[in-house]
Amino acid sequence: MTRWLLPGFLTVGAIATLVLIVGPALYAVSLSFYDIPSLTSDPVWVGLNKYAVVLSSGEFWNAMWNGIVYAGLTIILQVVLGIGFALILNQKFVGRSLLRGLTFLPYLLPTVIAVLTFKWMVDGSFGIITILMHEWGLPAVNWFETEAASMFSVILISVWLWTPFVTTTFLAGLQTVPVQLYEAARVDGAGPIRQFFHITLPMLRPILTVIVLLRGVWMFNKLDVIWLTTGGGPLGATEHLPVLSYRKAFALFDIGSGAAIATLSFLVLMIAVTLYFRAFPMEEVK
Amino acid sequence: MNQTLMQKLFFNRVALYLAVIVLAVYSAFPIYWMISSSLRPTQEILTNPTLLPRSLTFQYYYSLLAQTDYPRQFLNSLIVALTTVVLTMILSIMIAYGVTRTRIRGKQMIIAGMLYAYMFPPLLLAIPLFAMFNLVGLNDTLLSLVISHLTITMPLGVWFLWGFFKTMPFELEEAAMVDGCTRLGAFFRVVLPLSIPGLVTVAIFAFLLSWTDYTFALVMIGSDANKTVPLGLASMVGAFDLRWGDIMAGSTLIALPLFAAFTMLSRYFVQGLTAGAVKG
Repeated sequence: MTRWLLPGFLTVGAIATLVLIVGPALYAVSLSFYDIPSLTSDPVWVGLNKYAVVLSSGEFWNAMWNGIVYAGLTIILQVVLGIGFALILNQKFVGRSLLRGLTFLPYLLPTVIAVLTFKWMVDGSFGIITILMHEWGLPAVNWFETEAASMFSVILISVWLWTPFVTTTFLAGLQTVPVQLYEAARVDGAGPIRQFFHITLPMLRPILTVIVLLRGVWMFNKLDVIWLTTGGGPLGATEHLPVLSYRKAFALFDIGSGAAIATLSFLVLMIAVTLYFRAFPMEEVK
Repeated sequence: MNQTLMQKLFFNRVALYLAVIVLAVYSAFPIYWMISSSLRPTQEILTNPTLLPRSLTFQYYYSLLAQTDYPRQFLNSLIVALTTVVLTMILSIMIAYGVTRTRIRGKQMIIAGMLYAYMFPPLLLAIPLFAMFNLVGLNDTLLSLVISHLTITMPLGVWFLWGFFKTMPFELEEAAMVDGCTRLGAFFRVVLPLSIPGLVTVAIFAFLLSWTDYTFALVMIGSDANKTVPLGLASMVGAFDLRWGDIMAGSTLIALPLFAAFTMLSRYFVQGLTAGAVKG
């Protein structure tokens, strides 16, 4: 019994990894070599044909570009706002622990709720934001109708939802910076801004490197905000690779193309992550 | 000099509290608006709304629970999330413990698999899983959703517990075994009790991921009877002619368990985030 416990655990682990992760990923890649008009008919081997068609299509490159814009802007905003919020929450003020709790709440919400609440708040007739903007004399905005506005909307919702991740991790990091460093800097006459750039940022660089990596990977892969808010529209203005892949596989019933796009987007991500590790070596790899 | 210093301190204070108010409104107002919209009578929703509701009603909650599939979907969400949590715990405890306590080569593959799973686009897993479930006749079942959630929650659980078990000194188990415990006994009596904080964190995040998931449910579930709440709420927008009161009531009901859990267990949430036990 004792002798077989650990090998038994590892066997279960190996099987679970194969069935849940390695198997499906390999199967996805193999699906991309087939034409599968419906799940009841036999798949037809088409080799690299799906890749050739996908890579020569304008919609793939449009989706790639939109994905880079969406991921890039949401990461920058989340990191900048998250650091700002963490610096505020690290000050001493009345109600600090309450505010720390409140700022975390968006992270708990299902994406669906954030999207629905946003849609309700900007509802053309009865939305509170529409009403307030009207009262303040601001022009009406069609949040989902123009290209720029719909990209702005999906970025706004995403940033609101996931900034708490940056806030919380950065705040936890701030609390580990030794107070003596700031005291020494103050004695030397450094103001808050110089303290931030010369003590806080360098000390928290390892945490920040991981935050940007994780958020970058997730924002690049995220389907639900865009799918629920705009469905990729108007006219593909917010369509990124996950939406394109979903639409191909499940709306146009072209599983092969959907799998090819998912595989390509994973390859792009792997290249980006490898370059990122080159540029910002992890100081401590867990 | 002294007076200007006082003024400066005063303005700093004012600026800080302004920032605090802006941050509070930004974070909490949409949530407040969701909850308060679910409690306002229809005529109040459709006329110029006030910040505080003038009168309260539970009419949307009644109609939601009595006339829609919502109760069924809530139950589906609960079944899927709890099953996912239990299976995630069992698998990730076994794998993480096995990996930290042995020195064989295969374990590298497991850890690498977990790391890559972090980066997989959801559709790289959802498309093949959908095809596989179709082949074996599991399509459109709650079990298919549990299995697809495991593809995210298990790597997170292993990753987090791996870090947790690594720091636990081996001598503790050895001492227990010297005192006559079997390895399994030492595992249950020494290792698991000491790991409770880590186990709670993994359970919380597995629940959160499964409870809030929309993407996998969208791919796996087709019939109304098997929808989870996120999927059901999203299809309500198309089905009803935009009954915002009902939709906000449904949203409030699914968010409240998460807020309650956070209020009681917030330190585990923070611990999980800082250790990277998350995806989202």
